[in-house]
Amino acid sequence: MKSLILLLATVTLLPAIELISLPGQSPIINFRFVFRCGSLNDPKGKEGAAALTAALLARGGSRSTPYSGIIEKFYPMAASVDDQTDQEMLTITGVTHVDNLEAYYSTLRDMLLDPGWRPEDLKRLRDDQLTSLRVALRQQNDEELGKEVLYNVLLGTAHPNGTVSALEKLTLADLQAFYRQHLTQANLTIALAGNYPAGFADRVKKDFSRLPAGRPSAVKRPALRPLTQTRVTIVKKQTRAVAYSLGFPIAVTRAHPDFPALLLANTWFGPHRSSTGNLYQRMREIRGLNYGDYSYLEYFPRGMFQFEPDPNLARRQQIFQLWIRPVEPPTAHFALRLALHELDRLVEKGLTESDFEETRAFLARNVNLLLKTKANELGYRIDSQFYGIGEYPAYIRSAIAKLTVDDVNRAIKRHLRKDRLEIVAVAQDAEALQKALLSDAPSPMTYNSPKLADIVEEDKLVSTRKLGLQPAQVRIVPVDRFFE
Amino acid sequence: MRTLLTLLLAAGAYAAPPSKIFPYGYDLYDLPNGLRLLTIPTDFPNIVSLYTVVSVGSRHEVEPGKSGFAHFFEHCMFRGTKRFPPQKWEAVMKAAGAATNAYTSDDLTVYHATFDKSGLESILDLEADRFQNLEYSESAFRTEALAVNGEYNKNSSEPAQQLIEKLRATAFDRHTYRHTTMGFLADIKDMPNQFAYSKQFFDRFYRPENVTLVLAGDLDPKQVRTMVEKYWGPWKKGAVAPQIPVEPPQTAERKAHVPWPTPTLPWMMIGYKVPAFAENMRDAAALDLIASLALGRNSPLYKKLLLEDQTNDVLQGGYENHADPFLFLVYARLKKETDLPAVQDAIISTLNGFKDNLVDAQRLEAVKSNLRYSFALGLDNSEAIAANLAGFIALTRTPETLNQVYDLYASLTPEDLRAVARKYFVASGRTIVTLTHQKEAK
Repeated sequence: MKSLILLLATVTLLPAIELISLPGQSPIINFRFVFRCGSLNDPKGKEGAAALTAALLARGGSRSTPYSGIIEKFYPMAASVDDQTDQEMLTITGVTHVDNLEAYYSTLRDMLLDPGWRPEDLKRLRDDQLTSLRVALRQQNDEELGKEVLYNVLLGTAHPNGTVSALEKLTLADLQAFYRQHLTQANLTIALAGNYPAGFADRVKKDFSRLPAGRPSAVKRPALRPLTQTRVTIVKKQTRAVAYSLGFPIAVTRAHPDFPALLLANTWFGPHRSSTGNLYQRMREIRGLNYGDYSYLEYFPRGMFQFEPDPNLARRQQIFQLWIRPVEPPTAHFALRLALHELDRLVEKGLTESDFEETRAFLARNVNLLLKTKANELGYRIDSQFYGIGEYPAYIRSAIAKLTVDDVNRAIKRHLRKDRLEIVAVAQDAEALQKALLSDAPSPMTYNSPKLADIVEEDKLVSTRKLGLQPAQVRIVPVDRFFE
Repeated sequence: MRTLLTLLLAAGAYAAPPSKIFPYGYDLYDLPNGLRLLTIPTDFPNIVSLYTVVSVGSRHEVEPGKSGFAHFFEHCMFRGTKRFPPQKWEAVMKAAGAATNAYTSDDLTVYHATFDKSGLESILDLEADRFQNLEYSESAFRTEALAVNGEYNKNSSEPAQQLIEKLRATAFDRHTYRHTTMGFLADIKDMPNQFAYSKQFFDRFYRPENVTLVLAGDLDPKQVRTMVEKYWGPWKKGAVAPQIPVEPPQTAERKAHVPWPTPTLPWMMIGYKVPAFAENMRDAAALDLIASLALGRNSPLYKKLLLEDQTNDVLQGGYENHADPFLFLVYARLKKETDLPAVQDAIISTLNGFKDNLVDAQRLEAVKSNLRYSFALGLDNSEAIAANLAGFIALTRTPETLNQVYDLYASLTPEDLRAVARKYFVASGRTIVTLTHQKEAK
């Protein structure tokens, strides 16, 4: 009896690669290999190992072929391999035309199953990853900087690309260890779409069964430190304007029953890069404070470069976040007050019946656009698997069809709040901003054109809004301290 | 109806003959007012993409102090009409689940929306209305100018923006390509005061002769024609041709440097004067091939600078299709400032090599293959199909240009490339701009 139980236990523990196969007519063949591991699995002091491992697989040589040889093979096919590493997912994607499927796949397979681990690839890709932190993030994109600092201070997690000091020390042995431990069958989902021959998907799955069986890598997320009061971090660096990101952790992910209701609320309040959102209308359209203002329920990096989120950034812990694009320094105090004022109104008043109906009609159709490419369709399916929900657009459509405006407003009250915020500002004259925020002095707005009476009235209210911050709540941190 | 069917069948009813790179059949139709309609039925269900391509861009900004205006005007187009004030416009778009936006470049402004096909008629009506009856207040205009200033601010930490601004100002003396689409900061600051000019800009350039509607998706071309005639037919023609200054020939190499106040990797940009796209499509196609051979990921130079020596982390560039003569560009980002001279020499001698030597036939075939497959892999949804065509449409107003360009690629020989390299890779047509971190003197 005992041996039987043991046997059963062993059987259930056998790892299995998940396979998603979407054969179709398109000559474009998409590959997606998603491993459920990521920067949360980076060992302490080796932050950046997951991302650098992914980079070496996707942008380095295989044992038989150096990277220059791989480029040589892929070039006439215009084929590519890309990588994306987040906290809980490590993704390798590939695309080729069906004409070249065999030659492409055999190379891709060797890259992932039999990597070259060459020192010259490590040097090049480590340099790239260091540049992404030291130059691109700290110096040349204040908006992404603000967002990543917000995640860093709220969740206590490193950037998915790691830290400068750890990256500088990472060795090939560190990456090989990460590869062996985490890039396993237990963690892998393979997804394919396109006009590939019958039996191809099973062949890919069989080939990847050469990976170690492994065990699921999911680790406990670091415990959240409760936010007992609002905190402001002013990142000091040389720049023209002031960029803000602010928010707080939420208990909702796509797995949560309130997700569709909050998604609807957020689609009304601050949809990404859309002029329809309330926040955008109040801050940019009416007042011209900046280029745009949006809000988020999920991690959405690189938002300034794209209109739709990338799939396979699934996380068990998300934050609710406002992104206020750079404002002129003299209006920075007012802009923050206005953003908080709008957040207040969202939390207190919620949506009206007509806001709700209009947004629901929009969302029911717009959600289909997310899956306009097969690559995205594969990615969304894998994310749905992660969260344990159905196919994404169908799930959202059917869930919002059942909602009422009261459901949405209840979800807002339950999960969103107007106090105990983490606020990140990126500014050059950090001291002046700190002083202004602590003073709570009025920050009246003047415009280059007359405003309607209700806006003038609202501005009076907003410009004297008290933040009530104490000196210990507003700190200035030089930019070089982050991601170091 | 008959001609329509014939055309679709002739083009292979969505499956073009293999010799044509653009695999979709299409319906091309000119309205009497000069508006052109291009409808491309695709097999991607339910979704429709509308790209309204206006052949007007920062090239049209001929008056001093007006740099950046075409882009600013793109913003103004979202400020409503009597019938559809902004909120009503948004509501119609929302009802169709639409994702909408717009962009402006040197030679074009594009307004695009991707939506559920049930919204087609209401969106054609809505868009036709704003192109004919745009009406915004001075107050809304002045507010919008601030959003453009915000756009400048958000870009201002990125050194590549400054690099290209400097390169243009150095390489061009008279032509409007001297300035970027974003415009000079002083002109952006003055935009709120240009209300009257904005009306003039609309009146002169936003006319049907300058506009092509590109619709791709789950569509019936006959039905589309009927709708477009109904809503866009009444639009009055009357476009004014801009008097764009002709750039005098460059006679000597030019150089400039941008000191950058915050830490950055050093940048270099090299431009060679080359002809306008439509004026010499054959040379343009040859320059595309040379760009891939010289700078592509499998080129010896790329491998040397990025993989072997690892002096660079960026090397890219090429010929960009323009309405007037522009530049063949090379962008390079380096890891160390001290490598700038050697990398500059390596780039220039690589391009000069095309003047002396015939390219290897096999490598040329690899590049031709890359270009064909790159294009095919990009057509993975209706929006991408419309977006891919927009640039060509702005310059020539027909998708056949795309087929022509790929036919040219196929026909070009190593001797052709050598002849083209000899014509354009000359020191007197060259401009070099560098950018490095340089702390300001206190």
